[in-house]
Amino acid sequence: MTNHWIDIQHADVVMIIGSNAAENHPISFKWVQRARDKGGKLISVDPRFTRTSSLADLYAPIRPGTDIVFINGIINYALQNDLIQKEYVVKYTNAAYLIDPGFAFNDGIFSGYNPAERKYDKKTWKYQLDADGIPLKDESLQNPQCVYQLLKKHMSRYTPEKVSAATGCPVDTFKKVAELYTSTHKPDRVATILYAMGATQHTIGVQNIRSYVILQLLMGNIGLAGGGINALRGESNVQGSTDHAILWHILPGYLDAPKVFGPKKDTDLKTWIANNTPTTKDPMSVNWWQNKPKYMISLLKAWFGDNATKENDFGFDWLPKASKPHSHVHIYEELYAGSKIEGAILMGTNPVVGGPNSMKEARSLEKLNWLVCADLWETETSIFWKRPGANPKTIKTEVFLLPMASSVEKEGSVSNSGRWAQWRYKAQNPPGEAITDLDFIDRLFRAVRKLYEDDVKAGKKVANPDPILKAYWNFTPEGHHEPDPHMVAKEINGFEWKKNGEHGDQIENFTKLTDDGKTVCGNWLYSGSYNEDGNNMARRSKKDKTRMGMYHGWAWAWPMNRRIIYNRASVNMKGEPWNPKKPVIWWDGDEWKGDVPDGPAPAGEKLPFIMLPEGVGRLFAPTLNDGPFPEHYEAVESVTRNIFNSQQYNPAVSLYPGTQGEFGTSARFPYIGTSYRVTEHWQAGAMTRNLPWLDELVPDMFCEISPSLAAKKGIKNGDKVIISSQRGSIETYALVTERVQPLKVNGQMVEMVGMVWHFGYGGHASGSSCNFLTPQCGDPNTFIPEFKVFLVDIRKA
Amino acid sequence: MSEKAFLVDISKCQGCRGCQVACKQWNGLPGEKTTFFGGPEYTNPANLSALTWNHVVFYPLDKSNPERPVWNIKHTKCYHCAEANCIAVCPQMAISKVDGWTVIDQEKCIGCGACVSACVYKVPGLSEINHKNDMGQLIIHRGKSHKCNACTLNKRDIPACVSTCPSGALQFGHRQAIIKKALKRVKELKKDFPNASVYGLDEFGGLGVITVLRDKPEKYGLPVGKDAQKIDLSQFDSINSIYHTLSVFTMGIPYLQKKAYTVAKALAGAGKKA
Repeated sequence: MTNHWIDIQHADVVMIIGSNAAENHPISFKWVQRARDKGGKLISVDPRFTRTSSLADLYAPIRPGTDIVFINGIINYALQNDLIQKEYVVKYTNAAYLIDPGFAFNDGIFSGYNPAERKYDKKTWKYQLDADGIPLKDESLQNPQCVYQLLKKHMSRYTPEKVSAATGCPVDTFKKVAELYTSTHKPDRVATILYAMGATQHTIGVQNIRSYVILQLLMGNIGLAGGGINALRGESNVQGSTDHAILWHILPGYLDAPKVFGPKKDTDLKTWIANNTPTTKDPMSVNWWQNKPKYMISLLKAWFGDNATKENDFGFDWLPKASKPHSHVHIYEELYAGSKIEGAILMGTNPVVGGPNSMKEARSLEKLNWLVCADLWETETSIFWKRPGANPKTIKTEVFLLPMASSVEKEGSVSNSGRWAQWRYKAQNPPGEAITDLDFIDRLFRAVRKLYEDDVKAGKKVANPDPILKAYWNFTPEGHHEPDPHMVAKEINGFEWKKNGEHGDQIENFTKLTDDGKTVCGNWLYSGSYNEDGNNMARRSKKDKTRMGMYHGWAWAWPMNRRIIYNRASVNMKGEPWNPKKPVIWWDGDEWKGDVPDGPAPAGEKLPFIMLPEGVGRLFAPTLNDGPFPEHYEAVESVTRNIFNSQQYNPAVSLYPGTQGEFGTSARFPYIGTSYRVTEHWQAGAMTRNLPWLDELVPDMFCEISPSLAAKKGIKNGDKVIISSQRGSIETYALVTERVQPLKVNGQMVEMVGMVWHFGYGGHASGSSCNFLTPQCGDPNTFIPEFKVFLVDIRKA
Repeated sequence: MSEKAFLVDISKCQGCRGCQVACKQWNGLPGEKTTFFGGPEYTNPANLSALTWNHVVFYPLDKSNPERPVWNIKHTKCYHCAEANCIAVCPQMAISKVDGWTVIDQEKCIGCGACVSACVYKVPGLSEINHKNDMGQLIIHRGKSHKCNACTLNKRDIPACVSTCPSGALQFGHRQAIIKKALKRVKELKKDFPNASVYGLDEFGGLGVITVLRDKPEKYGLPVGKDAQKIDLSQFDSINSIYHTLSVFTMGIPYLQKKAYTVAKALAGAGKKA
C-alpha cells in the first residue's frame, strides 16, 4: 500500500476492484465503514455481487479479465470531460514530457514488436531530451508528441458503449461510476483504490494495476490522505516476505537479483551497478535509486562479513546468477520436464492446492528424490504421493514432514500491507517437537556448512564451496542453542562493521549506509527499524500528533517510518496541502510538518516521485515488457474475441513450451471459470480446514452459478456438479445464486462459474481443488499465473 | 430489563461471521459437523441450536429495486426479552434474569423443552451431546437447554461477538444510548431505504438486542404486534400445576422430572381438548 489501513477512512470515494475486501480483509472494513460513516461512497466492481458489494453504494458487474477496459473507460471519461487535477498532472506526472517520434501504437501493438519472439524492443519508448539530457516538456499539453496527447488518443477508443460491450457492465452503471470517481479530480476530494489478486492474477495483471495508477495520477490522488494505490496483501506477513526477497528476481529491499540472460548481463559488481542503477540529469529529481550501490554493498557485507572486500567485489561472485527466469511456474515446468533439481524444501506452501494446474504440479513433485515440507499441519503437498489416483509404490520421492511453530509460538516482526513492521512476542511454546522457521533455517545452514567443511578438510573435491564457507552467519548469542530473532532484526537494520566480526553501533537509517564496506545492512528498506533507539517495531504508543491516524509511535513503517509514501505529492510546489482539510505534510517556511516527508529538501526544490529517475509519476511507463500504456487483451482462454484490437491475448505473453495442448476453446468449454477465497478459509486451507469452528461455516468446496445457467443445466441449489477444463475435471457442490448473473458481452450472454479454491483431498474438511482446472500461463512482467480467467464446462453430477 | 443492550446494525454487517466463531471460542462450544446443504447462500448451520448460540443468516439477494440490489445478512442470537416467554414457561424456574440478561441455570434445567417451544425466535435448543471446553469444564449438557447468555457466564465486559466485529455492525452499551444510535442510523438509512426500521423497542416488553433493519421487520420474519407479546400462559399454568403435583415423586432426579413434565403436558393437553 502507498497508504495504510487506518488511512482508508479519509477517502471520499473507495473503489474496490479486483478485491473482495469485506471477505478477504475483513478488518479493512472497519476503515471502509468509517469512510462511509463520514459520507464517503463505496464502489464495488466485481463479476459477482459479494459481501463487499452488499455494503457498496454503487455496484458495477464486470466480466472477469476486463479491468483495463473498465478503468481505461473512466480515464477516457476524465480526459474527454477535462475532469483531471490539472496542476498536479502538469507538475507531478510525465504528462508534459515529449516522447520519441518513433513511438507508435497500431492495432494493439506498440512500436518495436518482434512477433517471432513475442517481445518488444523498447528503444522508441523514451523521452525526447534537450542538449543537457533533460526531457523536453510542453506544459501547455498541446504538443501531439506529449504524453498527455498520446494518452488521450490511446484512451479515446474506450467509449462507454465499447466498455459496456466488452465488460458486460450496463452503460448507465458505468457512467455513474465514472462520474462519481472523477468527482475526486478536485484537489479537496480524494479516492482510493483497493485491489488484490483479482487484479494481478492475469496475463495482463501488471497493466491492470497500471490503469489504476494512471487514473489515480490524473485525479491527483497519489500521496494524499485517503488516496493512493493500495494492494491488500493476502497473508499476514506477505509484505514482509516480499520486502525480504521471497521472489526469484529480487534481493532484499527490491535490489535486482543478478542475472546473466537478456541484453544486460550482471557478470560482476561493476556491471551490476551499471545495469541496475538509474541515472538522471534533472537537478529537480532526487532519483533515490542512485544509492543502490551502497545498499548492495552493505547487503554483501551482511552476507559475507570480513570475507567481502573491495578487491573481491564484496563477494558478488558468490551470489547465484539467474541464467533464465525462475518463477513458480518455470520451476514446476522444469521439474515436470525432468531437470537437475533433486530435492525441494517447501515451507508454509501448499502448491498441490494453490498452484496453477495443480495436479500437474503434484506429478512434477514425483520427479524429486526428496521433499521436505515444513508446516503446521499435514498438507496436500506433503501427501502428494497418496493423492487420489496415484500409486505410492511407483513414486520414488522420500518425503519428510517437519512440524513448525505457528505465528503465536515465536517472536519476530510481521509487516502488514501498510508497510508497518510490528514486533510480536511469543505467547507460548510450540507443541511437541515443532521449532520455529528461524531455528530450522539456522540448524540447516550450520549442518550444511559442517558437511562442506568436513569435505574440504578431508581434501575431497567440492563444487563451489565459497558461498557456504565464506558466509557470515552469526545469529546465536554466546551460551545459547537457538538463534535470536533480535540478532536477525539488528542485522536487517544494519550496523557499523568493524574487523573480525565485531559490531559497531546500529545504523540510524539508510541514509548512513556507505559503499566502502564499513556498513552492514540486511535490507536497506528496514534500516531504522532497530537502531540505537532500540527495537522501533516493538513501539506501542497510541499518541497521534498528526490526528490523521498515522500513529508514528506505533511500530515502525518502511521507509523511515513514513506512513504515506510519495507524500510530497500531497502538497503543491509551495508545500501547501492540496487538501487542507486532510493534510499529510506541509512546509512551514523552515521545515516539513506532519508525516515523515519523502526527503528533506525544501518545498518546490525537488520533484515528489523520488524512486523514479524522472521524479514524476508515469502516465507513460517505458520500462514494462508489454507496453507503456495499458491496452486490453483477452485472457489466454476467453469466451469472446477482443474488440479493441486484433491481438486476442497479450502479444508479450509467451506460453511455456511444456503447456502445449493444455488450453481449451470456448466451443468445448463455453463458460468463464474464475476462482476466489471466502472469509472462512485461508489460502490453500491447511490452517483453516483443520479448525472445526471454521469447517462448520464452510464445510465443503462449492461453486457459484447464476439461476439462468442452473436452469439450463438442470442444476438445483445444493446439487453436486462436475466442472471440467482442458486440464481436468472436479466434482463439487453448486450454490445457485442471484448474486451471479449472466452478462451481455459483444452481443451475447455469457455465464460464469465461480469457485472457491481453498480445498484439497487432505485435512479435516476436504474437497475438490479448483486449481486442478486452472492454466499455467502468466503475466510477461511478473509471471503471476492467470488464475482468474479460464474456460470450463459444467454439468449435473 | 438490562440497563445495557446490543445494537445489531445489519446495514453495516459484512457477513464475516467473526461473531459466530468468537462466540464458540469464548464460550467453549464445539464446531457443528455440517455439510453443504443447499440452504440460503452461505448460511451454515441452518439454525441456532444448543451448540450454536450466535448465528449469521444470509438472505437471498433482494432485487426488488434493480438500481440497488440488497443482500441482507443478519446476526441472530437470544434477544433477551424483558418479558421472556422462556422464563415464564420454565417449570423449574431454571431460567432467570442475571444483570438483566436471560440465563439458563444448567443445575436446574431438566431438558423438558418448554422454553424451546415457547420462544418465537427459536433461540434455545436441547443438546444431543456433552461437551467440555479446553479447560475440561462441562459446558454443554446432553439433553439440556442452551443458548446465549450475553457472555455473563464467561464474565466478559464486552460480549465476545461485539468485541470481534470489525465494521461496527455489533455494538454494546447503555440501552438508552443504543436506542438513540439506532434511531439516528435509521434516519440516515431512510434516504436509500425508505422502509428502514428499528426492531426491539417494545417487543416482549423491550428487547436486549436493538436491531437496525433496511426494511420492515416482517421482511426478515421477525414477529411484530400481537405476535411479539408475552405468551398466553393459561395452558402452561395447567401443565405446570400438574407437573408440580407429579414432581413430588421425582426425588429431584432430572430424568424423572423430564418424564413428569411430558406426562403433565399430555394430561393438560387432554384436559384442554375435553
